[in-house]
Amino acid sequence: MQRSKLARALWASAFAGALLLLTVAPAWGQATGRIQGRVVEERTGRPLEGAQITVEGSVRRAVTDADGRYTLPNLRVGTVTIRVRLIGYSGRGQTLPVSAGLPATANFTLARSAISLDEIVVTGTGREVERRRLTASVHVINTQEIERAPVQDIAQLLQGKVAGMTVNATSAQAGTSSLINFRGISSVFGSQTPVIYVDGVRVDNNVSTASGTGGEQSSALADLLTSDIERIEVTKGGAASTLYGSDAASGVIQIFTKKGTPGRTRITARIEQGFDSPELKYMFDTGLIYPDDIETGFDTNGDGTFDTPADPDFLKNNFFQSGHFQNYYLGVSGGGESITYAVSGRIQEAAGVQLKNQNEVFSMRGAIQAEISNKTSVNFTANYTRTEFGRLFNGSAIADPLTSFEVGDVFFFTGENNFDDALTTFILPDIDEVVNRFRFTSGASLIASDLFRARATVGLDYRTNQQREFAPIGAVIISAGEGRLQRYQRDFTSVTGDFAGTFSYPRTGILTSDFTVGVQGFRDDVSIVNVIGTTFALPGAPDFDEAATIVATEGNTEIFSGGVYFQEEIGLWDRVFLNGGVRFDANSTFGDKVDVEVYPKLGAAYLISDENFFQTALGSVVNTLKLRFAFGKTGKFPTPFLRDRSFNATQFRGESAPRFDNPGNADLAPEVTSTIEGGFDIALIDNRVGIGFTYFDATTRDALFFVPEQPSTGLGTQLRNVGEISNTGIEIDANFQILNTDKVRWDFGLTYHAVDNEVTSLGGAAPFNITAQQRVDEGHPVGAWRLFTPFDSNGDGKLDDSELTFSGKSPMPTKSGSFFTSVTLFNNLTLSGSADWATGHEVFDFGSIWATFNNIFRRELVEEDYEFPIRFDTDGNEIGPWSQNRARSAFLLKGDWFKLRNISARWSIPASVYQFLGVDRATLYGSVHNVKIWSATPLIDPELNGLSAGGSLQLGGRSSVTLSPPRQFRFGLEAVF
Amino acid sequence: MMSSRSITERYGRTVRGIALAAVTAMAAVGCSFLDPTDVDNPATTEDDLAEAKNPTASLIPGLRAMFARTVSRAYFAEVISDNYSIHGTGINKTYDTPREITEELLGSMYDFPQELRSLAAFVLNEIVPLDENPEAADVQEARYYHGMAYLMLGEWFVAVPVEVDGTPVPSATLIQTAITELEAAGTSGTFGLEVRAALARAYRLAGDVGNAETHASAVLAADANFLQARDFDGATITNTLYEFLFLRALKEMQPLPRLDFLDLKYTSREAPVYVSKAEEMHLILAEADFSRDAFAAGRQHLVDAIRLAVTRPTEAFDDDDQRLNLDLSERPHDAIIDIRADASSTFRSGLVLTRPGTITTPTVASTSLDPDSILAIPFNETESLLHAFFLARQEMLFLEGRRMVDLGIKVPMTLEEIEANPSINAGDLGTVVFVPSYIPALDNMDLFTPASPYDDTGALTTTQVTMMVDMNRVLAQNKVSPFGL
Repeated sequence: MQRSKLARALWASAFAGALLLLTVAPAWGQATGRIQGRVVEERTGRPLEGAQITVEGSVRRAVTDADGRYTLPNLRVGTVTIRVRLIGYSGRGQTLPVSAGLPATANFTLARSAISLDEIVVTGTGREVERRRLTASVHVINTQEIERAPVQDIAQLLQGKVAGMTVNATSAQAGTSSLINFRGISSVFGSQTPVIYVDGVRVDNNVSTASGTGGEQSSALADLLTSDIERIEVTKGGAASTLYGSDAASGVIQIFTKKGTPGRTRITARIEQGFDSPELKYMFDTGLIYPDDIETGFDTNGDGTFDTPADPDFLKNNFFQSGHFQNYYLGVSGGGESITYAVSGRIQEAAGVQLKNQNEVFSMRGAIQAEISNKTSVNFTANYTRTEFGRLFNGSAIADPLTSFEVGDVFFFTGENNFDDALTTFILPDIDEVVNRFRFTSGASLIASDLFRARATVGLDYRTNQQREFAPIGAVIISAGEGRLQRYQRDFTSVTGDFAGTFSYPRTGILTSDFTVGVQGFRDDVSIVNVIGTTFALPGAPDFDEAATIVATEGNTEIFSGGVYFQEEIGLWDRVFLNGGVRFDANSTFGDKVDVEVYPKLGAAYLISDENFFQTALGSVVNTLKLRFAFGKTGKFPTPFLRDRSFNATQFRGESAPRFDNPGNADLAPEVTSTIEGGFDIALIDNRVGIGFTYFDATTRDALFFVPEQPSTGLGTQLRNVGEISNTGIEIDANFQILNTDKVRWDFGLTYHAVDNEVTSLGGAAPFNITAQQRVDEGHPVGAWRLFTPFDSNGDGKLDDSELTFSGKSPMPTKSGSFFTSVTLFNNLTLSGSADWATGHEVFDFGSIWATFNNIFRRELVEEDYEFPIRFDTDGNEIGPWSQNRARSAFLLKGDWFKLRNISARWSIPASVYQFLGVDRATLYGSVHNVKIWSATPLIDPELNGLSAGGSLQLGGRSSVTLSPPRQFRFGLEAVF
Repeated sequence: MMSSRSITERYGRTVRGIALAAVTAMAAVGCSFLDPTDVDNPATTEDDLAEAKNPTASLIPGLRAMFARTVSRAYFAEVISDNYSIHGTGINKTYDTPREITEELLGSMYDFPQELRSLAAFVLNEIVPLDENPEAADVQEARYYHGMAYLMLGEWFVAVPVEVDGTPVPSATLIQTAITELEAAGTSGTFGLEVRAALARAYRLAGDVGNAETHASAVLAADANFLQARDFDGATITNTLYEFLFLRALKEMQPLPRLDFLDLKYTSREAPVYVSKAEEMHLILAEADFSRDAFAAGRQHLVDAIRLAVTRPTEAFDDDDQRLNLDLSERPHDAIIDIRADASSTFRSGLVLTRPGTITTPTVASTSLDPDSILAIPFNETESLLHAFFLARQEMLFLEGRRMVDLGIKVPMTLEEIEANPSINAGDLGTVVFVPSYIPALDNMDLFTPASPYDDTGALTTTQVTMMVDMNRVLAQNKVSPFGL
């Protein structure tokens, strides 16, 4: 009861704080003046667009236009200090008088900076903090990076951009997305997907939001669109995420959307056309799988003569397609002196690369930001997205046309005798998903004085998706030929409330101090209804009431999480920064005996390059060197209601039939990850080289395992805090400015990440499997591969026995990285490219197992010198190939891959071409995404996660026959009026 | 000095704001309407259960459902025995090779009877004592399931633990506990005959000829056509055997060709599995007579069983099963094919049905034996009599999970139990499969020649198929019976 009261009090405080900010009186009627000016680059004198101008002690702000100009009207008369910041440049400040008459002018010249110490970060910091003060690693992705590679969803956007992050796509099918992981697997019970905030509001990040269709999961990330994003901040867990408490062990991604800039109305129109081309590198097609049929042809009319030729490229010619893509965007933004706005709409349609795949998107968005006084601003954002996906069965489903063709089962499952008829039967089912998503954010910001500032956010994310799967009579389904209709509906609502206030005193001098108090909470409600109707008398597209049997199930979960945090930041000589903080967390998922979880953090950063001795000794080579160290705890709360002992009833012959459900655990607590990280950021050689290095050591204690109760109790499994998991590793990101003249700029960047993951303790629990082949056991990485491997038992050199053994690797890469380069010519043509890679892992090829049922040994067909293991008896006599289930190790493949991810070009069309049309600016762009793959195995795309178990933790690395994400060609024209 | 009036003017909005916020905060703390911290578990918790009016009666349907789940696990036993072999992906092919069965292969075959036992114990030990007015029939039924759970665990497993951290209890002890529980349930009342039939089965396994005969005779005296069905629910807990036999496109369970005429026994999702029937009682009586060398009486009981079995209902069914081996070659599926049980037997017709097509199969029990041929077996040909007896048990109790027990095979507990229970280590009693030495190597019980009597075009190459091993001959020669033949 104590916990409940505390949680209520926290929630109420956040709500009240938000309300308080909105009721603070605006101060009107004072004399005002204006400041205007221009921001240019130091070396080239070229105007800098997009620089942020802020006024100290005020919410006023401006952004420079394409000519580098800005205006700050309606400033209170007196002396003001303004600051300018732009990613990739050193910040500058000026203090100048503002009078009621003539405008004051403040021009700025910014120097390139290899590390942006003046960049503002807000995620996990409790307030707006300059990067120089950060003691833990936070990554920021800016507009320019986002614009460079037009992609569909947030996961694709993040791919290869953040050191320490792995992004594994699911497949080519619409509505599926990727698995995202930071710094290794820190948990075995729940999803590793980071928490995602949009404009301060926690949003649905579930990567398994519909019922299974064979392994490829529908994901809430697929409809988090990438238009209208201003910047993305990424914290990877540890101290940088501590203030998010029990929700942040997997890291936090925060997306900030555009809210318009003051100035005249700008209309942005974008037309994008393109096509998706299937990646067929891992498809063997009918030529390899059906050699006998290709040789003899088909007897399609049953007259005994095989008179119809069989196409060796049947799938390429009949199943795959190059799908048209179109995307139209219209945005209007602008604003007056105190109110800015941005409104946009987008329509998109893609045909996909397989039959029956399609994707349509319709989205609308409006944002408004208003200064209701010099001290207070408020903002509102509303976003609606409707997404429709068309998909096929896949993965391990026998109704999957692609797998069935590729493993030699199409005739067996359809009863047909030729490719065309088999395909016609296979594509009978319809799997359609519709997602409606509405997001609303309201925020307020108060700068009461130089001493106190506060901000508050209240918002919600409402997402509802309905997957309707209809297999008509005659379709290939588990329940042969009778027809089956399934409707899976999931409703998700999350409400977030957040309030933080910072007292800053002293603000100047040798020592500065900022003390922040914050209250934050969210509530998630998820409701799932799943209805299956089977056996229909008549063909057509029936409704449920026409089914012979209807089974409906419902699932509901509710979570409340609330916390209060305190943080003290101290600056010494503006070069030594110390911070300490603590968050107290209450959560409805904790057991009755667990009241509050405490998450402390400590950090220190030293901008050593600001010291005179350093400048004297190394100043000619090293422009900036910042050393940083941080310790912090983060948590991951348990699955809702698993604290309770419960019973669950099933309908059985007209009665409600209960059985044991969850055993119950009053001690259920979050798992807590303690992270120590240290590193440096260095800028070298006239700010041409910037390198960030971080070492981290994270230990997850009280790790939550579904510990099997002894089966003799009949009680199933119970989530318990028993394990310990360790992740240690390094992250490097580096950027090199190779050329920077007024005609040519050439940048190159890379990221590198290595992680060593190990389950260090099971806490007395028995080892257990996550999937049939992925195991959790002490001394091994989470989900280490453990499969039947033939061996020689009597030393005669012949494989005569088979046992379960660890392969030594896991499905997660131990090393990964990316490369990026960008060349800008004549300030108007930018060519860029990126690539990423991963190594140190193994992947499991389920499709090839399936093929063995038809005596097709796919690996032998595509690897010339490979032979499937042969079984001998103990006397040395050959028995034949091992059965697939006693030789599973033969299907485990090296996972190394390298992908040329993106090539793009953007050309700012010279103004002379379109000026007479009233166009301010026009940009032509083109890009190719998923350009080319190199992989150690020719059998499957090792990056993919085509066979998810559908449970909480998904490690990826298991695929049946899964189509890689397509090669996406995009051509666009953007005009700003 | 500022007057109070000017303070109000200057800070009025702020003060009002603070007041409003404070009121809101108090309201939010006090009022559940605004309380987002309140969550409600949609499952039945212990608190909810305590509020049930008739808790024992409320849990009986749960026991029935659990018993249904347990009974349908018979498919494991069927594929492990010679009755069925596996040709598809839904069931692990290793089950066809009994000696290769390891602890990680058994899942719900172990978990379900254990959960039935545990749930029944929970009802009897924790719910009934709290129930102000439990119905006697409910308590009897709960105790019956408790006994049946022990019985099925004892039939299928070498040894299993029956309490938290418990050491493995050997099969024979489990059957003794089953007998104790069934006796405690009582042989009168609503569930009396079911209890008697279960006792006859349990005493038989315990080798107690007298008690087995007593209960078997009592069942037959009360109802000569006695039949106990465990029905399923077409929508929720379905007959799993039917799914593997027919519903799944892969049709992974394929019968031994000489038993083809008995398949498909279950023709719908809710088709019952028969837990006990009068035929079994006759066969227990026959076995008891054989054990005391009373061959005439035993032979008569065997004939009684056959005469009853052939009167049981049949059903016409449109079966699209193509009878495919794992390599997609065709298994015998034409009525013209004759089968012999091994190379030294004679070919018999009528054992294979023509499929795909409309077939008529028994839904309760049937047999290929006829009374006349049994009556023609001289008393001194004990092996022939015993062979007929084992064949009758195999055919009449087909697809009910009993053949594996008759063959003497017992499987290990699951890896999860071994790993989670500190009192059990790998290699302990109950952790390794037990396969009697008379069971042939590999999957030879399931094999026959030719493996496909058809060529690539589907034309028959022979109409005679020979089983590799006649397991009924093996059982007869080894006199495998708890009564000691």
